[in-house]
Amino acid sequence: MSEGLKGTEIVVKCLKEENVKNLFGFPGGQLIPLYDELYEETDVRSILVRHEQGAAHAADGYARASGDPGVCMATSGPGATNLITGLLNATMDSIPVVAFTAQVPTKAIGTDAFQEADTFGITMPITKHNFLVKSTDHLSWTIKGAFKIANTGRKGAVVIDLPNDVQQNRSKEYHHGEVKFAGYNPSIVPNPLQLKRIAQKLVEAERPLILAGGGVILANASEDLRLLAEYLGAGVATTLMGKGAIPENHPLSLGMVGMHGRLGANKMINNCDVLLVIGCRFSDRTTGWGLESFAPDAVKIHCDIDSSELNKNISVDFPLVGDANLVIRDLIKFIKKFEDVKKDTNIWRKRVNQLHSMCEECETVKPNGKLTPEIIIKTINNFLDDNAIVTTEVGQNQMFAAHYYITKKPRQFISSGGLGTMGFGFPAAIGAKVAKPDSQVLDIAGDGSFLMVCQELATAMTEDIPVVVGILNNSFLGMVRQWQELFWDKRYAGTKLGTLPDFVKLAESFGAYGERVEKASDIEKALKNAFDSGIVSVLDFKIESETNILPMIPPGGRVDEMIGVGRCRHK
Amino acid sequence: MSTQIISVLVEDEAGSLTRMSGMFSRRGINIHSLTVSPSEKEGMSRMTIVTTGDEREIEKIEKQLNKLIEVVKVNILDKNTSVVRDLCLLKVYADKENRAEVLEIANAFKSNIVDISIRTITLEITADPLDIDRFVETMKNFGIKELFRTGVTAISRDIEKKSGG
Repeated sequence: MSEGLKGTEIVVKCLKEENVKNLFGFPGGQLIPLYDELYEETDVRSILVRHEQGAAHAADGYARASGDPGVCMATSGPGATNLITGLLNATMDSIPVVAFTAQVPTKAIGTDAFQEADTFGITMPITKHNFLVKSTDHLSWTIKGAFKIANTGRKGAVVIDLPNDVQQNRSKEYHHGEVKFAGYNPSIVPNPLQLKRIAQKLVEAERPLILAGGGVILANASEDLRLLAEYLGAGVATTLMGKGAIPENHPLSLGMVGMHGRLGANKMINNCDVLLVIGCRFSDRTTGWGLESFAPDAVKIHCDIDSSELNKNISVDFPLVGDANLVIRDLIKFIKKFEDVKKDTNIWRKRVNQLHSMCEECETVKPNGKLTPEIIIKTINNFLDDNAIVTTEVGQNQMFAAHYYITKKPRQFISSGGLGTMGFGFPAAIGAKVAKPDSQVLDIAGDGSFLMVCQELATAMTEDIPVVVGILNNSFLGMVRQWQELFWDKRYAGTKLGTLPDFVKLAESFGAYGERVEKASDIEKALKNAFDSGIVSVLDFKIESETNILPMIPPGGRVDEMIGVGRCRHK
Repeated sequence: MSTQIISVLVEDEAGSLTRMSGMFSRRGINIHSLTVSPSEKEGMSRMTIVTTGDEREIEKIEKQLNKLIEVVKVNILDKNTSVVRDLCLLKVYADKENRAEVLEIANAFKSNIVDISIRTITLEITADPLDIDRFVETMKNFGIKELFRTGVTAISRDIEKKSGG
């Protein structure tokens, strides 16, 4: 045991081999060895958060912005349990995150020692995979295996639980090369026979529509997706996770589909004759309820890297397992072979474009000079440059952002989809800014969400991570209040947050920049002040307390049953 | 809804049984029985799971099982071409008056006597689970003191290809 590398040396060596440059963490008794190892390390930056949940979300945001796995660490017991929400958030949105959790020494495991938690047991159902390392001899193999699992196939979070003695003991064992698992070999190459059948259906389509999910972004397939859409003349709707898979100012882009989706996108879903779904898992927020009425007349094609998603929520005519990048590239190849039988889709193409702009017209609320979320986000659209990254919290702020923010490139709209985690956006923005220090990073937040993670202002200040938080402050838990208004007889139980705190003073108490905005005409100047300040900033946009994000599919409603579109003048 | 037997080859890692059973509970699927034993491959175990579901549900289970990192192979066993066995230990009340009758039935079911006391007889039977169900039902007439079943284990039959002649 006295020879070889120390466990913590092995950890850092592996991190370097995995090209990890940044990690987010918070120390504690059992994690001292690893922190000590990183103390004078210059190649791996260790960013101190102020709550472990922030570390997990920051790693998640880092991964979404960069495309590389995000890394976080926490101590045993409460440190590890505080990571839980962030780990499930990453797993549900298929984001590669590797988490190191310290554990009590192996001999103390099972004794209910101080700060002992069964992290291995607790994280099992919320991660893609997890490990408890019982010997330093297995450490390098485990870490390399963890990165492989997190970042291949359908991506997700992986936990490595590291007992104190495993960190401190020495071992001569070091695994070189790729780690192989007998039962893990994700199939990413699509079946050519099925591809050919699908290509044939696509060229025969008169009204083709593509629904792109987060899988397209994760596979870096956006550029080819646009080519495919243009070649087919297919409208492209996206899920929340797929926002940015196609430039949203593209003539074929229909925007987000689903419960809070664009009216045009939802209409077209039920008007197409062939629906090509790529890298999407048909979540209930995407499909609405009444699954048989989702694109009822269309031939449905579903391509996903995870075979268990095929025919899970919606039965389809053509399922195909494969990486979105390979699927789209190969589809383009096959479609070109069928050039001579390709149907003319020009009429449909025009209709897609028309309907999109018509619906946009109907959805637009007259501002009357008031400070509305719509005006704020439309100003943000004009203010931010093409490389800017927008993150969101969860609730109305998220849906306003999803609705009105025009995302032009992939990995530039970062939001908690599956888990819907309030408090995600700010730490995720910190992670994104660390990944892309030259990009403007803005968190579109709500007052409720931001208060859950506002302590990370300290992280952003001390680590010099100048992100901007724009709070759509309505003094309510806005989305739940909206449901209570629409479906619960306006009984605002538990949703009235009141006008505290003073977010400007809160920001200033951390040494951050803060500004209150009460008039639409001040939005742009405030944005400029915040980004020019060069430090983390909080903009407190005082919006009306009872604003709704409409139209929406009511609970139990179908995709074509949107409410709040009373002003629609078009069929 | 019909009973299905799923045979899973898994890597022998700490926690693989929890991971497996956790998948079932998380997806709201009931497990009727679950047995774990060493397999012919070193470092791998075989789990035999009995559950109920229609074809689509079983397909979902198969896919979810395949997603688990430790799972190497999943087989849905066809009952018509598999040998299915369950082992049962049963302690039945048998006094002077009905002892002969109990033994007669035990014999008819080809069960073995493994222990006898003044008031009870303990029987052991290895058979198809349905046969054991009938055995247990019959023995209920005498009063069952204790009942243990191992749960199902199963293996597929090798179907010989017909030779040309």
